[in-house]
Amino acid sequence: MKFKNNSAKAVEADLVLNDDMTVAPKLTFGEKLRRGFKAQSGWLFVAPALILMLVFTFYPIVAAFVNAFKLDYNSSANMGEGIYNGWGIDNFTRVLRGDTGTAGANFMQCLVNTLVFTLISVPLSTVLALLISVALNSIKALQKAYQTILFLPYLTNALAMGAVFATFFQVIGTPEQIGINEGTYGIINIVLGWFGISPVNWIGKGFMTTPYWRIGQLNIPWAKYIVVIVYEVWSGLPFKILILFSALQSINKQYYDAAKVDGASRSTVLWRITAPMISPQISYLLVTGIMGGMKQYSAVVGIFGEQMGRDFDMGTMVGYIYNYIETGASGYAFAGSLLLFLIIMVITAINNAITKKHTTYR
Amino acid sequence: MRILLQHLTKIFPSRTKGGKEVHAVEDMNIEIPSGKLIGLLGPSGCGKSTTLFMLSGLETPTSGKIIFDDQDVTTLAAEKRGIGLVFQNYALYPHMTVQENIRFPLDNMRIKKEEGNARALDAARLVQIEDLMARKPHELSGGQQQRVAIARALVKMPNVLLLDEPLSNLDARLRLQTREEIKRIQRETGITTVFVTHDQEEAMSICDIMVVMKLGVVQQIGEPQHIYDDPNNLFVANFLGTPPINIFKGRIEGGKVYVGDEAISETTHGDGDVFVGIRPEGFIYDENGAFTLNVDHIEVMGRDKSVVALHEASTKPTVRCIIDSDVVLPEGASQLKFNIKPYKIYLFDAETEERLR
Repeated sequence: MKFKNNSAKAVEADLVLNDDMTVAPKLTFGEKLRRGFKAQSGWLFVAPALILMLVFTFYPIVAAFVNAFKLDYNSSANMGEGIYNGWGIDNFTRVLRGDTGTAGANFMQCLVNTLVFTLISVPLSTVLALLISVALNSIKALQKAYQTILFLPYLTNALAMGAVFATFFQVIGTPEQIGINEGTYGIINIVLGWFGISPVNWIGKGFMTTPYWRIGQLNIPWAKYIVVIVYEVWSGLPFKILILFSALQSINKQYYDAAKVDGASRSTVLWRITAPMISPQISYLLVTGIMGGMKQYSAVVGIFGEQMGRDFDMGTMVGYIYNYIETGASGYAFAGSLLLFLIIMVITAINNAITKKHTTYR
Repeated sequence: MRILLQHLTKIFPSRTKGGKEVHAVEDMNIEIPSGKLIGLLGPSGCGKSTTLFMLSGLETPTSGKIIFDDQDVTTLAAEKRGIGLVFQNYALYPHMTVQENIRFPLDNMRIKKEEGNARALDAARLVQIEDLMARKPHELSGGQQQRVAIARALVKMPNVLLLDEPLSNLDARLRLQTREEIKRIQRETGITTVFVTHDQEEAMSICDIMVVMKLGVVQQIGEPQHIYDDPNNLFVANFLGTPPINIFKGRIEGGKVYVGDEAISETTHGDGDVFVGIRPEGFIYDENGAFTLNVDHIEVMGRDKSVVALHEASTKPTVRCIIDSDVVLPEGASQLKFNIKPYKIYLFDAETEERLR
């Protein structure tokens, strides 16, 4: 009965989807084809997802790949058909050399920024999340309440949180205005001031200069970096705590009893028993965290504005791509997105190789 | 190491508000001589595992004392007691190899890696798993995992070895083999060993001393054969022995023990209602015997045979009598008569269920 129903539906759907899909044609060729169709009917069930993937994922990837090799490509010209000036790899060489005009973002700067943000904040927030989860797991009173509070940042919009962070760190007004309480060094500087630390221009706006290191052609505005890293660690915690806490709760208590009898110290238990026991979850968080970190955009915009600091000195890889789509030089954006794709792939491969070695699945 | 338990009591608070607290172990007093194998035996919920965990230091007694030799260890932390503990499901760390698992307690004692490895190998040799050192626990059979757990408990040369239901996760054949193994290891090392089991056969077969418990209260302590032959009360008599003892409602009248209308034995106790316990091997077939049973069927086991019979005074559905296979029984008889061996019959007070001695 059930089977009959399925095939009836399949026939109905086949009339619509026959052109798009490589499903067998209508039932005009007799039993043999009907049987062939039944074998292929699985495609019908994946069709909705597959079509969406084709339109919104695979086509853009292919288009970006092709367009990255078009020279002086202008996608909006010629009634939306786009015009270009022959083929070549100039887009890539210019992007990598930073030879993309004076106003726009610099690829190397954006790459270094993104890598630093990601490679510091993801491991840091994972370790912090692990410590918090272990602490949370070891208390009984108010556990649920703490769990809820810790999860709240996850529900908050990234741009809104960015604005809040900007307010915390921002220096507003001139020294004179601050003197008569019409401006402020920002809550962070005030707190640091209690410990005798002089104010720092964290966001890079206002009368003070923001401190930076110069490395080769790149400016490393470390104060601004700290703001982003603090933000990313903080906003990355809730989800990581959620995953690690639930993993911790599934560990059999006997392992801890055994460790206690065997005289293991607290840190030995944490690093030699607890962490390896939840290593699948940790490696999942590292892999997805690094992928997500490499695509960072909205938080930086939320804190430093649309120009991502001064002349994109806080730019990220995705920011770089958006920048060149907006300025019309979309060839650089395509090239940049392909490079980002490659970089994420390489990092993920390395990540996988490392975590696989240290992961035990139970 | 000699272990002394004095008035040891563990009370767990009620889980629900206003509910009753649970007296897991109540006023336990035992002395465990050094170098012996001791079995804590009882049905589930009798407090035997709680006792073991109090010995290990993982549970804190509500009151009472635990004394190792002359040292009061009642409040001493688990890792400082010098005990090795084997958990029911072994609790081997799944991400460590066998070698790392065994060496783990030594690592915690900051013993150098080479020495640790050497000692781990010694422990592995003792339980005959030295070929498996590079494997992970999930690559081992249940019996092998258990040996690793024992090696891990032995490697730090504990004063006391504690085993929680060591054989319950093994199949029947492996269980027989492993219990011999535990006995051998205990003899070779001479470590005072306490193990917990609900299986009376297991306890009887390997224990030097057996402690029978019920609902947190110790019922009887002694050598297995002694407890079997001379049970303190109905519970102990009932719990020990396969097949279990037969129990009848009976009475004493004028120095004679009556079950139903038949006087089956004699006694010096005064008149009154009693439970009469007769071990299955306590029946002697005799066509002029004092005790008549209605035969249900006969099971032939080779070495001996069991007469499975019915009696209205029996507290169990059937009565089981084991007799030698060379005893010739009348073919197809519906009733058989037996005499009772006097040392296989026990009388218990009908009220208190205590043994009448």
